[in-house]
Amino acid sequence: MATQITQDGISARQALTGAQERLLKEGSLADTAIQARPREYYAAMRRADPIHFDARLGSWLVTRHEDISAIQSDPVTFSVQHGYSEQQARGMRNEFETYLREHGGGYFPDAIMSDPPYHTRIRKLMEQAFTAHRVKALEPRITEIVRGVIAEAIARGDGTCDAVKDIAIPLTIRIIVEQLGLDPGMEEKISRWSVAVTAQIGAMQNRETMLANAAQIAELQKYLIAKMKAREAEPAEDMISDLVHAQVTNADGSTEKLTFAEAVSLVRATLIAGNDTTATAIGNLFYVLTTRPGMAELLESVVDDERQLNRFIEEHLRNEPPVRALSRMTTREVVVNGTTIPSHAHLLLVYGSGNDDETVFPEPRRFDITRPNLGRHVAFGGGPHRCIGLALARMEVKVAAREIVRQMKNLRLAIGEEEIRYTPSVATRTIESLPITFEKR
Amino acid sequence: MASLTVTMTDVEGRTHALEDVEDGISLMELGRRNGVAGIMGDCGGGCACATCHVYIGEEWWEKVGGPDDVEFAMLDMVADVMRDNSRLGCQVRMSPELDGLAVTVAPASSA
Repeated sequence: MATQITQDGISARQALTGAQERLLKEGSLADTAIQARPREYYAAMRRADPIHFDARLGSWLVTRHEDISAIQSDPVTFSVQHGYSEQQARGMRNEFETYLREHGGGYFPDAIMSDPPYHTRIRKLMEQAFTAHRVKALEPRITEIVRGVIAEAIARGDGTCDAVKDIAIPLTIRIIVEQLGLDPGMEEKISRWSVAVTAQIGAMQNRETMLANAAQIAELQKYLIAKMKAREAEPAEDMISDLVHAQVTNADGSTEKLTFAEAVSLVRATLIAGNDTTATAIGNLFYVLTTRPGMAELLESVVDDERQLNRFIEEHLRNEPPVRALSRMTTREVVVNGTTIPSHAHLLLVYGSGNDDETVFPEPRRFDITRPNLGRHVAFGGGPHRCIGLALARMEVKVAAREIVRQMKNLRLAIGEEEIRYTPSVATRTIESLPITFEKR
Repeated sequence: MASLTVTMTDVEGRTHALEDVEDGISLMELGRRNGVAGIMGDCGGGCACATCHVYIGEEWWEKVGGPDDVEFAMLDMVADVMRDNSRLGCQVRMSPELDGLAVTVAPASSA
């Protein structure tokens, strides 16, 4: 239930070393070097200035777990609708919108990135799609798809592959494409479209890249609109058909049909959210398996124990959260944990930092599947905007983990760890490419 | 439609005596609708977030029954506050059999 934020205490600030002070003063989340290796910067903010104004970004970075939790529980003071809208194509929003109206069949604001009470209705409609029980029923089919993708990478025969491009990305795309009822075999295109959509909230575009991404999004929208029109005329057993015919229930019990524009935005959101961040989580899994001593052995030891494997996956999501930070905007001046934030200020809830908060997760850099409070991590956000596809994401990562162990062994990074490139973005922390070597089991 | 009663004790120790409870409603929806502190239901009833965790009154446990595998997996994520009588409110639906049910909202997993 949405609660209004109340201010009943200020948690302690801690002293910084000289180096940390410099980092806090000179650093910015807009810096791609910090984006790639952010933990020191997060720690400095968490210690001394937990709600830190990043002047280069023009955003307040919320870094402590307690503050992230309090803010996401108050969707009225901290608006997702305004926060998301401000962040989208930031500084170039009008041009972005105009481009899509002219070339992409329209500009379709994200219906789910909205505030209550509107959000509550849209959300309710989407919630039944991927409940944990529905996802459990999909497990055999998901396993089949994952098995196939990994087998294809192995079948190349030379014991090498790109764990991100050859496994993580096609795997999550094939699953969501099948659920939505889109065409198979479009992995490359959908991956490109996903990057373009996600880049809109990454705060790292210039005009040229924004327009190039907008062209991709226009192509995506035209493809989706055609599919939706076809399903409108002739429904099938898939999510697109469900959404084009969906009705929302109002508070008074009356119902109304989703508008076509709302439905386009929801199909688009499901496609993008349904592949991009989960692929990142699976890419990160390969990353930890190839770089952190003992991880492959640990996974192998839990892979046949459902309970321990679930804990492994949850700790992995805490340890390497795919989504780094998402937006809110204040609807009034508000004091949070001793920091006064003005009205209409843009905030980023830095999940990557919240998951490392040592007051909630002692020794946060230790990978510990026995943590008694694993479910407290904020990799999926929290409050009324908590990730809607969380059960599906968990299942995909779990099945991937299982199939990696069953089909591959001796995973090694084929490049130096320092050569790993991350997508420039404040919104996600995504490994772009991860060449590995392995042996077939 | 059967009209049932439920007693919910919220995380702040306040007791909510709920009457005219409809048959079929989940304890999560019931708690949210009545502003019972500690019942969030973030995931909307999908058994996927453990923010509607309740302890079932001892005398009711047999009738309510235990969690299935999917629900247990979620409860295990809040192991520090999980008890033998833990259930997720979204997975317990009211029925005439449960008329008079008493539950206590579990605290959030600790820091």
